[in-house]
Amino acid sequence: MDGHSILVVEDNPDDQVLAVRALKSASENSPVIVKEDGQEALDFLFGNDARQPCKDLDSLGLVLLDVKLPKVSGLEVLKGIRSSPLTNWLPVVMVTSSDEPADLLNAYRLGANSFITKSINYREFTEQMKLLARYWLFVNKVPKAGAVRSF
Amino acid sequence: MMGRWRYWRLKTKLLFLTLFTSALGITLVCASLIFVENQNYRKQLESELHVIAGILAEQSAAALVFEDNEQLSSIITSLKRIDTIRQACVYNQQGDVMTSLSGRPQGQCPSVGSSLEVGFVGDVYQLLMPVTLDNEVVGQLFLSSHLEVLRGHIRTFVSVASGIGAVILIALVFLALRLQRIVSEPILKLSETAERIAQDHDYSIRAPVSGTDELGRLGNTFNEMISTIQQQNRRILESRDSLERIVEARTSELSMANRELEAFSYSVSHDLRQPLRAVEGFGQALEEDCGDQLNEIGKDYLKRIRAASVRMAGLIDGLLVLSRVSRQSMENQTIDLSQMLEEIAEELQDISDDVPTEILIQPGMWVVGDSRMLRVAFQNLMANAWKYSAKEEKRIVEVLSRREGRWVAIEVRDNGVGFDMRYIDKLFVAFNRLHTPSEFGGTGIGLATVYRVVRRHHGDISATSQLGEGASFVVKLPVSGDQG
Repeated sequence: MDGHSILVVEDNPDDQVLAVRALKSASENSPVIVKEDGQEALDFLFGNDARQPCKDLDSLGLVLLDVKLPKVSGLEVLKGIRSSPLTNWLPVVMVTSSDEPADLLNAYRLGANSFITKSINYREFTEQMKLLARYWLFVNKVPKAGAVRSF
Repeated sequence: MMGRWRYWRLKTKLLFLTLFTSALGITLVCASLIFVENQNYRKQLESELHVIAGILAEQSAAALVFEDNEQLSSIITSLKRIDTIRQACVYNQQGDVMTSLSGRPQGQCPSVGSSLEVGFVGDVYQLLMPVTLDNEVVGQLFLSSHLEVLRGHIRTFVSVASGIGAVILIALVFLALRLQRIVSEPILKLSETAERIAQDHDYSIRAPVSGTDELGRLGNTFNEMISTIQQQNRRILESRDSLERIVEARTSELSMANRELEAFSYSVSHDLRQPLRAVEGFGQALEEDCGDQLNEIGKDYLKRIRAASVRMAGLIDGLLVLSRVSRQSMENQTIDLSQMLEEIAEELQDISDDVPTEILIQPGMWVVGDSRMLRVAFQNLMANAWKYSAKEEKRIVEVLSRREGRWVAIEVRDNGVGFDMRYIDKLFVAFNRLHTPSEFGGTGIGLATVYRVVRRHHGDISATSQLGEGASFVVKLPVSGDQG
């Protein structure tokens, strides 16, 4: 456990709680940061958020991004992440509650690393979260944010 | 002959007809005039000669009795002055020639006998008259006259008549040409106009009309007809335009409705699922984190809450698929249905129960249609066959196809519980179920979706069953895949 944190962008408070619970059950030591809408997420990532400065970017290991978000949609957040050299290396997993084929295609076109449909069954959802956390935090390797800046 | 007539131009026909009739009339008039003139002249000649002969006979009777040849000859010689007299002879009682008109080359006197012809003989008129004195025949007088003068007369008559005839004919040609112009010109113009209208489809052209006779009326009627056609054309165009506008308006309304529907189902899929997931998720969390504090009844209620939310999620999924197959655009292609069914059967066997299953899928079935939609349809049919035969000792699912005219009929058959044919009306209607949830789970949307897919392929679906004897669903699709 090298303490990589997970950014969860989810507008629904219920889903926030459920997602955090599932992720905690998968990896207790990984900090989970929750942002409620797309704008908040972008502010956080690009350091415009005074409360949580951008040093968090260094330890970020995974972004779980809901497709449907108020203000700035998940796909627009994804576009923002991919368009900046500071963040375009981040693993982004799109999460949706519907399986609209158009969303799936657009997400991959915009450079999503993965796309999952939230299972209606919470046990399955927990399994999904476990798999994701295990793979992206422990199996997968990401560059250090500091290394990204120096290149 | 009649055949050639028909190809003559109207102008020529009229001209020919006029001239022919006139020429015939003139000729007939001239011929009859000549004939009558001829007859009159002959009669006149005849009577003249008779008068002359009568006078001569009277004068020569005494001389004949006294055989005074001198007297006779002087009487005869007096005839010299008459040009038409060819010969004159005087015979005595015995028939000897007493005297004749000398100096005429034809001057042979015929012998008087029974063989002598009188009257018109060829070019000559002959006359034999007895010379009498006190009612006693003393001799005979012969006169012959040629018809040269008559012929000259006739000739003059003919040339005058033909001259006048020619003048009349020339005048007639002019008249006929005028007449032809009066009659045929409007007709020709009318036919030219008709041709131009037929060629250019320009119904604004009108035929020139002059006069109020039959031709004028014909032209007016023709123009009225063209006006009617023009008006009707305009009306047709107007109604087509307005139809197009209506169609356009409807199309935009429809596409707006479609977009709204799309937005609706998008938000339905997101927003309706979210609370369900919360219900289910917190139910699970409750059970896991606080399960110790719940008794069995509480745990059962919790289970029911979670099961209900899962069922509702299934319903939403089914509705989403139904709305998707209704609005999705179709991409028709030739599909290997047999392979598609094999894949579906494999998926079903992976998630299925322990009932031994026999699958018979006819190889080499090809259909034309949208492969995603048809997959949804056959997934539903096959899943139904699976579900409703789950309580059999051995499950048998068969898929066969056959050609029915311009349709290809695909039959999906199972040996399951079947359904009651009395409720066939409700079979393909969304949310209608023929089985209770405790018998067989389901949303009631599957067959409605199948029906929608088949209808969008311009096909048809029918079902037959007997309770406990299995069910058979027949999907009919157009062979060529054309739109109807």
